[in-house]
Amino acid sequence: MSANKHFNVKWGMAIDLDKCTGCGACMVACQAENNLAPLADASNKQRVPNWLVVYELSNKKSFPDHEIAYLPRPCQQCAEQPCATVCPVVATERNEEGGIVSQIYPRCIGCRYCMAACPYHARCFNWFDPVWPKGMEKALTPDVSTRPRGVVEKCTFCHHRFMQAKDKVRAGGGEVYVRGTDNKLHCAVPEDGYVTSCAEVCPNGAIVFGDLNNPEHRVHRLVTGNANAFRLLERLGTDTAVYYISRREWVRRLGDNYLPDEDTQKPKQILPKRH
Amino acid sequence: MGFDRRAFLKIAAGASAGIMVTPVPWKLLDDVSIWSQNWSWIPVPARGASTYAEVFSKMDPFGVPMKIRKVGGLPVRVLPLPEHPLGGGLSPLSIAEVQMLYSPGRLRRPLLRGADGKLTEISWPQASKKLQDELKNAGGKAAFISGDETSSVTEVLSAFANALGSEDMYLMPSEAQSAAKAAELMGIDARLGYDIEQSDHLLAVGANILENWGTVLRNRRVFANSRPHSFRKDGGEETGDSLSLVYAGPVQNNTAAVAGAWLPVYPGTEGILALGMANMLIEAGKTVAARDFEEFKALASAYTPEKTAELTGVDGKKLEAEVARLLTAQKPLLIVGSSAGGGAGPIMAGVAVNALLGNINKPGGLVLLPKAAKVLKGASDLAEIYRNDLIKFFEREEKPALLLIHEANPAFALPNAQACAAALKAVPFKVCFSTFMDETAALCDLILPLGMGLERLDDVETPYGSGKIGYCISTAVGRPDAGVLNTANVILNIARRLGKDLGFELYADILKAKAGLYGKGGDPLAGGFAVESAERAEAGAFSFRPEVLGKALAPDEARGKLRLAVYGRASLGTDKTGIPPYNNKTLRADELAGSLMSVLLNRATAARNNLADGDKVSLESGGGKIVARVRVFEGIINDTAGVCRGFGHTALDEFSRDKGANVMEVVRPVPEPETGLNFWAKAGVDIKKA
Repeated sequence: MSANKHFNVKWGMAIDLDKCTGCGACMVACQAENNLAPLADASNKQRVPNWLVVYELSNKKSFPDHEIAYLPRPCQQCAEQPCATVCPVVATERNEEGGIVSQIYPRCIGCRYCMAACPYHARCFNWFDPVWPKGMEKALTPDVSTRPRGVVEKCTFCHHRFMQAKDKVRAGGGEVYVRGTDNKLHCAVPEDGYVTSCAEVCPNGAIVFGDLNNPEHRVHRLVTGNANAFRLLERLGTDTAVYYISRREWVRRLGDNYLPDEDTQKPKQILPKRH
Repeated sequence: MGFDRRAFLKIAAGASAGIMVTPVPWKLLDDVSIWSQNWSWIPVPARGASTYAEVFSKMDPFGVPMKIRKVGGLPVRVLPLPEHPLGGGLSPLSIAEVQMLYSPGRLRRPLLRGADGKLTEISWPQASKKLQDELKNAGGKAAFISGDETSSVTEVLSAFANALGSEDMYLMPSEAQSAAKAAELMGIDARLGYDIEQSDHLLAVGANILENWGTVLRNRRVFANSRPHSFRKDGGEETGDSLSLVYAGPVQNNTAAVAGAWLPVYPGTEGILALGMANMLIEAGKTVAARDFEEFKALASAYTPEKTAELTGVDGKKLEAEVARLLTAQKPLLIVGSSAGGGAGPIMAGVAVNALLGNINKPGGLVLLPKAAKVLKGASDLAEIYRNDLIKFFEREEKPALLLIHEANPAFALPNAQACAAALKAVPFKVCFSTFMDETAALCDLILPLGMGLERLDDVETPYGSGKIGYCISTAVGRPDAGVLNTANVILNIARRLGKDLGFELYADILKAKAGLYGKGGDPLAGGFAVESAERAEAGAFSFRPEVLGKALAPDEARGKLRLAVYGRASLGTDKTGIPPYNNKTLRADELAGSLMSVLLNRATAARNNLADGDKVSLESGGGKIVARVRVFEGIINDTAGVCRGFGHTALDEFSRDKGANVMEVVRPVPEPETGLNFWAKAGVDIKKA
């Protein structure tokens, strides 16, 4: 139901795969920040709610030419969302300045169409009610509601932090959206005033978060005109807000289903823009 | 007036219009959607004002400063503290600390084992009295183990052991112990540190510096700062890395994933690699003014590039290229290390290479740090405590009358874990201060609940690997559980009652005195106390000790069909914590499937052993046996099995139990020739289908 909308502000990430060591700190921080319940047996990955997953990548070569890299995968916050277009109850939409794809739990009827539609496997379903060991519910953060079984959930770019940052600007008497030097509207929240939990804890600085449309933000500078930057399954035309950076060509090639001799730079899109 | 068709249509039209206008059905629908998801058994986060406190992690041994967010006075989140000298982001273990306050494996009350073998809850005064009586009876036959080498609790235990007349004070084996032995053997009266901040080329041999070696957060911050995000225009690549990183080790681990190059070497041959490099540096004209340099040169000359390549498995050309990079770098640095059990020999060889590179006590080099300050009467230096080998202690026929263990889990963590557990059982009275019901606590006669780092006052003095002296005090945040106490205060109290004067009655006073020695004004117990000092110890006249190195690093026979490479992952927690509740979601399906963990073999090794991906196998050595599933992984050297440690807990809670097997059950320690330490980096295993 959600159409592609243009926003002045587009929150996004640049994840440097040459810096990520795959330690999993981002995954743990995500769970603690967003009140995901722990699981005693988390080995059945199809039943494990995780908003952010770190995958191990391999260049598929034999020893000793083998190389590995790690790829953290949050929700890609597509501008052309395969998920929102199939949701029958408008439980997920991209309808707010900033371009974050929402997930409205009370609306969700658990049909999981969105999970089937998401090409990034970024959505997870609560097969069971969340259970915290006795007392651990005292460590829930007050910023994010807990979710019952039967609903789909996903990464929201720590949307509550965006709300808090905007409140801070308003409390200071400022306007949330102001015109920048490029005569376009930008968010008055400072670059470090709104950072996702995963980006905040990464000791390697592998995740850079900010406004992709703001030339003064690091993330904009990192992905604009950078031939080492790529997006996942870019040719689907989902226009995601998560970019990856790597100097290694074999890593960049894993970003999409390229033919062996195909140039990764072009064409970027093979599907029609509306699909 | 009858109810005709017209009346029906009127009512229907009126109802339709009314429904469209009234908010009632929409409100009801909204309420249904909300209330059908609002069950009493689903917790609702508590609300309240947010406050923040700065602390230093006592759970993560790799130096993690952090900020705690509290809501309504209760801690809810761990956040980074980038302004701290060791700060950066967070480790996967430290992030989970708040949740671990409520871990099902927590100990809440003192427990005493009765004659029937069952544990019963007792009060703290009863527990303290029992411990006092047992210590009084044991006297000099009491033994002590500390699992926290950076805390002043170790100093308290050491002073108390000495006051009782006991010579049995031990620390858990660690990289710092191996380094202390290496420094002692080479005549260096200081601690080894590494100034990676100012280095421009870092070769890490066996040291997984970005995951579980040294001051990991600081290492990672330096790595992050030294490597700008890559930017490539059509015109070419913009680079600007100020530090090039190379990793040498048997497994392509987290550090190797981002290093500029990975040099595969057989496990346990890291020291030989360093010796071979030393030979090539000497051939290139490098020299050191040391009294036994000529003897060292003679020893190193035996490790020609060809022989080094043969013994370590490293590619000869890559070896030459790496030595060339060491020679051309402005500030090269070599770090030799392991996750524990690597022995002192390889570190000595690493010191030798750094000496040849001329970087000792130079910016970006190997730095010598002054010894830790002491304030307690009669406490031993850390270096003295490191001389006592815990493995030898457990192998001894004669057992102590009492064994007191503080924050350590030897029954799980030591090599030949089952034998250690058996030796532990043979001690007449065992008491432990532990936060969790771990494998060691489960064997003890008196179990005393210790507060987590977030619940207690404690300190951290210069974690191993740091390039500077640092001293931090961590204060309790939130309300500590009434059932937990601090080891140091309990021991100080008992010491006083037994008439042993340690010079202090309260742990807080010890930390205040120490803070004074490290020199910073203000109230050190007010929270967030951190001091850093760039003070260096004199390099002095050190020796290469080739007569020791030659024997310690001598190649020996294989101890099994395959070499065993034990590696670690930070998200698996420590031997003391087990896997934090949130962290087992970080394990990939190819690391743990159900309760079966993976053993890494490369394709050629698997084929040579008639094994394929997914085969269930048993790994055996010296009577120990573990079961795993083969994962064909090309990032491991030939004829080597890679096993992750941290799995296989039998105690703790459901988040740690019944997940894989404890690799330490098939690791056998052997005495390292000449150094007096036991080591286990050269372990081997037999592998067969299970």
